[in-house]
Formats: sequence, structure tokens, C-alpha cells
Amino acid sequence: MKKSALFLGACALALAGFAAAPASSQQRVIKIAGFGAKTGPVRSFGVNSEAAMRAAAAEINAKGGIKLADGKMAKVEVTFDDDRCQAEDGINLVRRYASSDVLVAVGPTCSNVAEPLFGILQKKVSDEKDSGLRFPIFTDVAVKAGLAQISEWAFRNTPNEPLLYDALFKYLQAKRPELKTIMGGKEGDFAHSKAGWDAVMKVAAPKYGMNIVGEVEWKLTDTTFTTQVREMKAKNPDVIAIAAHPFTLCGVVKEMARQGVKPKLIIGLTSSSSMETMEGCARQVEGAIIPTTFAPVNPEAKRVAGLIAKQKGSADLHSTAAWENVIILKSVIEAAKIDGKPETLAADRRKVRDALAALKETQGLLGVTKRTEDREAIKPFVFVTAKGGNWVVSYDPTKPN
Amino acid sequence: MDYLYGLAQTIGVHTIIGLSAYVVLQTGQVTMAQAAFYAVGAYVSAMLTTLWGLNILIAIPVAALVAMVLAGLAGFPALRFKGLMLVVATMALGEAVREFFFNFDYQIAKGDLKVGPAGAEGFRQIRYFYERGWTTAEVAAFIWMFVIGIMALLWWMDRSRIGAVLRAVGEDELAAQSVGINLTAVKVSAFAIGGAIAGVGGALYAHYTTHVEHTAFGVLMATFAIAYPILGGLSSVFGTLIAVVFIQGLLIQWLPILIGGELRNLLFGLLILLAMNLRPRGLIDPRVARTLRGLFVRSPNA
Repeated sequence: MKKSALFLGACALALAGFAAAPASSQQRVIKIAGFGAKTGPVRSFGVNSEAAMRAAAAEINAKGGIKLADGKMAKVEVTFDDDRCQAEDGINLVRRYASSDVLVAVGPTCSNVAEPLFGILQKKVSDEKDSGLRFPIFTDVAVKAGLAQISEWAFRNTPNEPLLYDALFKYLQAKRPELKTIMGGKEGDFAHSKAGWDAVMKVAAPKYGMNIVGEVEWKLTDTTFTTQVREMKAKNPDVIAIAAHPFTLCGVVKEMARQGVKPKLIIGLTSSSSMETMEGCARQVEGAIIPTTFAPVNPEAKRVAGLIAKQKGSADLHSTAAWENVIILKSVIEAAKIDGKPETLAADRRKVRDALAALKETQGLLGVTKRTEDREAIKPFVFVTAKGGNWVVSYDPTKPN
Repeated sequence: MDYLYGLAQTIGVHTIIGLSAYVVLQTGQVTMAQAAFYAVGAYVSAMLTTLWGLNILIAIPVAALVAMVLAGLAGFPALRFKGLMLVVATMALGEAVREFFFNFDYQIAKGDLKVGPAGAEGFRQIRYFYERGWTTAEVAAFIWMFVIGIMALLWWMDRSRIGAVLRAVGEDELAAQSVGINLTAVKVSAFAIGGAIAGVGGALYAHYTTHVEHTAFGVLMATFAIAYPILGGLSSVFGTLIAVVFIQGLLIQWLPILIGGELRNLLFGLLILLAMNLRPRGLIDPRVARTLRGLFVRSPNA
């Protein structure tokens, strides 16, 4: 009798559980998958992007979620996966998202992942014969120029480096006319760093009167830079431009300090305007200047930096792009009138793509970001200078004086 | 389902690169050059299909042939080296080939785009499969057609006189030479066959990822190439496949889903160490290989 009662009780509880299940499953969810490098030399980018995406999702959910086509509210669910900066991992992750109920993805960190990844997407939405994946990706970090051209399903909210460095060298010509010679250093095996010197700084510097006296290169995972710095010392340029990520940037500037190489100015790559650089080599980069699309220069930017910090991340130009992407996606999903049901997933993804493509401008943390025809962003920027262990805004184009 | 087909593509291509090293390892030579032949296969085939519009069924054999010739040529100087010296020499060759593609720039205008290898920027728009409407399942089936073909060829070789000769050289060169085996011919042939197989793998890799660049063909890929057959065991071609499923499927793809990305990196090395300690002669060691063979091949006395 006692056993029967227990059994009946257990059955009742189970039934109650089943009865409760549909109630909780009625809560619709919009899934946004983040992915990027969370291991290797650029792992901080993935860690920070994840923190920013989770912070943005928490803020959206705290305000009730995302409004769907039928007027009901859906919660945002953010996941984040490590692609190890490996193309095959990135491809497999996105195939997994496309096979599941993920609506849209944000990532990746590395351009060498973005490039093949965008290649497996359908190239033109009008080409029905193209069997590429029909899945929207909104990139926050991979910054190599022109990648979104690869597929009409690819969108980016990354800095336009040619414009940023053009403005920087123009500024230097006006404010620091004594700077006449420049030498470049780059991570030759990393697409963004190499292009950062070869296709960006090396092009902009001579345009504004700087004479290139040489260039050196190293690898992303190198730890010794003696030979390269010795060459810098021999050339004795006014400016040393280092197109590298924090890990090797710090190695190079420490070696410069050891060999007594003291240029009048160090210019860094956008990706190095992060706290990781300050944690690694604040003293050696003192005075270095970098153009960036994020700095905590206004109350909203400061607030978001605080929210990202609460999620154990650091706000920089890349992670705040991840924040912006999730916020932009919320407004895009609402404007596109997404149904958010399993049977409408493919149509919803297409609606998100079309709505992203239709954007002419978006609201970013530093101001209005313009969207281009080829699905890239032209973001507002500032120049930051390393000062006392922090990145301090040294020039804001919106406040020229 | 699309994800599983995509994973099957990755496992298939990695099995091929592992099998390319398997042949060379049979002769007792440890090579770090397989990534180089893989790169040659990738670039040659991608140029043939993307720049000159050739059918992939022509591009893959041509890529394999070019990789085979390079591997054969590399095999002759490699004869002078043994053990660690050979590892260093083949690693140097691998790096030289990678550096070549790092600087290789050959693009032609195709519509409003310039396509082709662009040095460190890599070679994008290798969209043969997608432009022709191949589904992920069809691409996976195409890749596995080659995997099965190569495995069948090597399985047959293992059981033929060729396999016995390769193993004889691998076990004891002096003894093999004393019974009249031409060491030069055997070693160079193993290199050449391995190179051709790596070329096929590279060709398939380039087309399923749509983009290749020098970083994909570095020391890490060369290490994976020899790690698969060593971990899987040199007693059977199936060992390489098992090892690829273990590394690419379980450790790289599924472990992060099961336990989270951070723990994956800790467990990755640990599980490989564990596997090597528990099964020092490979996941499919000679005893397991015999047992498996017994299951599928009826004994003449039965």
C-alpha cells in the first residue's frame, strides 16, 4: 500500500512536470550564436566578445526581450563557441548552427576563419543554383578589408582601417610635422596584421609626407625579436608602426626598450588598443598612438564598458562591436517581423539578412555608424594614446579643438 | 544533418592526409613533409578549377600527380637521412613549400573580381561545389569516395607483396637489403605514393573550405598527419580512420559540446597521452587488427 502510494505520488509529480513543460516552452527564444578564438594568442578577443554578447543579451532580456511578429516577446539566448582561429572549426560550427534553431551568428575573431566561412555561404541571394549555406553572419572582430564582399549573407561591424589610418597620418602631418621617416613591423603570417601594414599604413604614410625607410616582420607566435629590433635601430626612423596584436607588440616594444630604440612615436594596430596591451607592456608603449572605434568617451560607452566588465570581459573596439551587433540584431529582428517559430526558421533567417542589408546606418557606442552597399561599416573613431597604463583619447574628430 | 555531413567532410579529408603519412611510416621513415604535398594538391587543383574552369575529376588527379612528383623528388635526398635528421629535413621542406605559397601571387581577372593565389592573403573563391549546386551530403559522399578508394588500395597493398616489402624495410633495412630489396626504390615509392595521397587530400580540402592560405599547411598540420597513423596504429588502415574520428570528431568537435570549450584544451592532450599509454602500439594494434580480421575473414580451417 505504502509502495503504491509512493508510486502514485511519483507519477503525479512526473505528470505535473509534463503539464508544466508546455507552459515553460511557450516562452519563445531567439538564439544568437557567438563564435571566435578563445584559445591561442588572440584568445582575449573571443573572451571579450562573449562577455559583451552576454551583457547585451542580459540587457535586452531585462527589458522584456525581443518583440516578434505576433506581438509576443521572446528572450534572447546567447551561446559562444571556440573556433580556435581554425578555418575548419569555424566552418563546422556554422554548419552546426545552420542545422539547429540558431537564427543568426556573430563572429568570427580571425580573418583566416571568416574568409573560408563566408565562402561556404550562398554568394548571391538571387542565385538559386548556388548551394552555399543560407545563414546570416554578422562579424564583430575579423577586420581584414573587403571580406563581406564574399557573400550576401555576410555582414560586418568592424573598423574600416584604410580610413582610420588615412585620418591618423593626416593628423600627424598637421600636428607633428617633425615626423619625416617611418619604419613598419608586422606579423607576416597573420592576415590582418600583414594587411594592416602592407595595404593600410604603408599606403597612407607616404601620402602625408612620411618616407618609408624599411620594414621588418615576425610571426604571431614569435617570442624573440632581437634581429628585427636591431634593424629598426640601424634605420633610426622617427616613427615605428607596429602592425601586430598585443602578444607580439609587447615583445617588440620590450626588445626596443632593451636595445635602447626610442622613436619619436610608435603607431599601433587597431586591435592593440586593448587592456591586454596595457597589462603586458604599459611602460614600454607609453606615448604610442592608435586609431580605434571604441573608447569610453561618453556616458553610454562608459556604462557598456561597465556591463562588459561585470561579465568578466574588457571593452575594446572588438568586444563593443559584439555588443553593438546584438543590439542591432534586436532592432533588425523587430523591424523584420520575425515569427520565431521552428517552421519559419529559414524564412526568419532570410528576413534578418534582408533587414541587415537594408540598413543605411546604425547607432554605435561612439555615434552613428554608416553601412555600405557591400555590407561593411564605416564607424566613428578616435585616436587613443597610451598614458600611465591607460588608453587616453588624444583626438576626437567630432571635437577637433 | 548538414552539420554531420560537414563533419564527415572534415573527417574524410583528415583521414586522407593521415593515410598519406601511413604509407611512409610503413617504411620506418618519419616525415613532416605531408603538409607540403597537401598544400601542393590544394593550390594546384584550386587553380585548375577556379582559374581555368577544369572539371574537378581532372583537377584532382593532376594535383595528385604534381604532389607525387614533388614527393618523389624529395624522397631521393631524404634517403641520406634517418630518424631525427629525416624529421628535420622533411620539416624544412614543408616550411620551404609553405613559404613558397606565402609569396606565390598569381591572379587573373574573372568578371569584376581578381581570383587566384594572392600570397599571404591566400586563395579565395574556390567555390566549385557550391557554384554547381552540390549539397553538403553530396560533397561528403564525393570526399568519402576517395577515402574508401584510398583505404581499399592501402588495405590491398598491406596484404600484397608490396606491403610486405614496405614493412620489411620499416622493420629492418639491413635485413631487407640482404634479401635483395632495393631500398632506394622502396623508400622513394613510399614517398611518392604518400605525396599523391596527400595531394588528393589537399585538393578536396581546398574545395570544401573554399579558401586556402599558407597558415593551413604549417607544422601543426604536418604533426597531425603523422599523429593520426601513429595514434591509430600501423597495423591497419582503419587505425588512421579511428584516430581521426577520435581527434577531429570526439576531441575537437564533440568534447566542447559535452563539457565546454575551456576544459577541452586540458583534456585534449590528456586523452591523447592516455590513449598512447593504454595502447602504445596504436588504437588498432596488431592483436586488435588480427581479431578484426578474424571477424570478417573466414579462416580456411573453419
